[in-house]
Amino acid sequence: MKTLSEIRELYHSVLLPELEVLEGQRKLALNNIIIVASIVFPLALLLAYFIKDFWPMLVGFFIVAGAVAFISKDYVRNFKTGIIEKIVHAVDEKLNYSQAAFIPRSLFSASEIFRHKIDRYRGDDHVQGMLGRTKVEFSEVHAEYETRDSKGRTQHHTIFRGLFFVADFNKHFKGTTIVLPDTAERLFGGLGAMFQSWNKTRGALVKLEDPEFEKLFVVYGEDQIEARYILSTSLMKRISDFRKKTNKNIFLSFKGSKIFIAIPYYRGLFEPRIFRTIIDFAPIEQYFEDLQLATGIVDDLNLNIRIWSKQ
Amino acid sequence: MVGVIVILVAIVLFTFALYNSLVGKKNQVENVFASVDALLKKRYDLIPNLVSTVKTYMEHEKGTLTEITELRAKAVSGTLTSDEKVQLDNKISKMLGGIMVAVENYPDLKANQNFLQLQGSLNEVEEQISAARRAYNAAVTDYNNAIEMVPTNIVASMLNYKRKQVFEASEAERQNINVGQLFKN
Repeated sequence: MKTLSEIRELYHSVLLPELEVLEGQRKLALNNIIIVASIVFPLALLLAYFIKDFWPMLVGFFIVAGAVAFISKDYVRNFKTGIIEKIVHAVDEKLNYSQAAFIPRSLFSASEIFRHKIDRYRGDDHVQGMLGRTKVEFSEVHAEYETRDSKGRTQHHTIFRGLFFVADFNKHFKGTTIVLPDTAERLFGGLGAMFQSWNKTRGALVKLEDPEFEKLFVVYGEDQIEARYILSTSLMKRISDFRKKTNKNIFLSFKGSKIFIAIPYYRGLFEPRIFRTIIDFAPIEQYFEDLQLATGIVDDLNLNIRIWSKQ
Repeated sequence: MVGVIVILVAIVLFTFALYNSLVGKKNQVENVFASVDALLKKRYDLIPNLVSTVKTYMEHEKGTLTEITELRAKAVSGTLTSDEKVQLDNKISKMLGGIMVAVENYPDLKANQNFLQLQGSLNEVEEQISAARRAYNAAVTDYNNAIEMVPTNIVASMLNYKRKQVFEASEAERQNINVGQLFKN
């Protein structure tokens, strides 16, 4: 695990020359985007004025958004091989990075964290490898479902968007245990706990004795003893600490001897800037922090401890 | 008249529901207690293996090994009351902890594959026992709350249900946890 100062060193010695080349590509892409926008928007505005309707503006907006993605495709790809991959390897050289791959939909569904039917599933920036004795993989994932309104238009709604992390858990177990952010109990106190115990679709409610953990999370499990075997007193503390460190709602599940963690993000992860200069350490620091949050889970939750029969 | 009947039926149904939830809670406690017992037995089953693996190495702990074998035989004989069981179990836990600490003095043993596997299994069972005890305590708390809180307490007093005791972590158990910590690598 590298420190921030080592990443700063990497930035100055290795990344900076690359970034200067990429900055040229970015400016070129940005120029093309500006050209497209300055043709499309006035046309759309004109059309909207003549037919006295709003939709040409919307169409114009989608055309420009598509153009941004299309024009910057090569730049984004070069940026990820040139920069992101190097940062991944700097964090740990045994990690493999693949910019187009992502956690497979089957694995995402198998975690049972989100049970809404998925209609569209995408992702990128897949990282995998061994961290100590623990096999991990994670990527950015975006799962959505579709609805149709009265006019037959399809709309997409996000089920989950953010970082999805899967690791080999250090204990054997058979059933499923789900740990979700506890919104009911935070809002309604004891009454919330009562509502949760009525929610039978998730398996039985597991009431745990760590008050801090109980305030943050609600646990459902198939087996009361197994849920406590997985969520030992020390792991509960570690999960609470991790929750406080990230300051995000985190979702966990334990199934098939694996641990799944979903951390929602409202911004893209590991994406290069287009509209601002990239000759800057701040975004590099952000990529590094996002990566370290994921790889740090192994230490944060002590997954490398192998004192049980599972090696 | 109809109104009175409706109210009476509602009261009867409500009482049934209370009764059933109480019985459910009591059975849950018994159920989990049986699991604790099964896990304790699982640990006892590991002891003969452990003793036979370590005895060729551990010269100075011969006495302890003989004693733990005897205690184990007593524990599985099945003639004990539950209080005696708990007492005996505490004693065995403490001795196992002692053996695991003494292993530190035998580098050959620490490298023995067979022993390492046993140690893993033993740690696993310890952790499962502790999980089962926590589950038992949760079930007992649930049950105790029910027999003391309105309105289930009325039905509970009619059934003569009494409060149950939770497991308390004994000194020996706390030591066990520390022993587990020693072997993290």
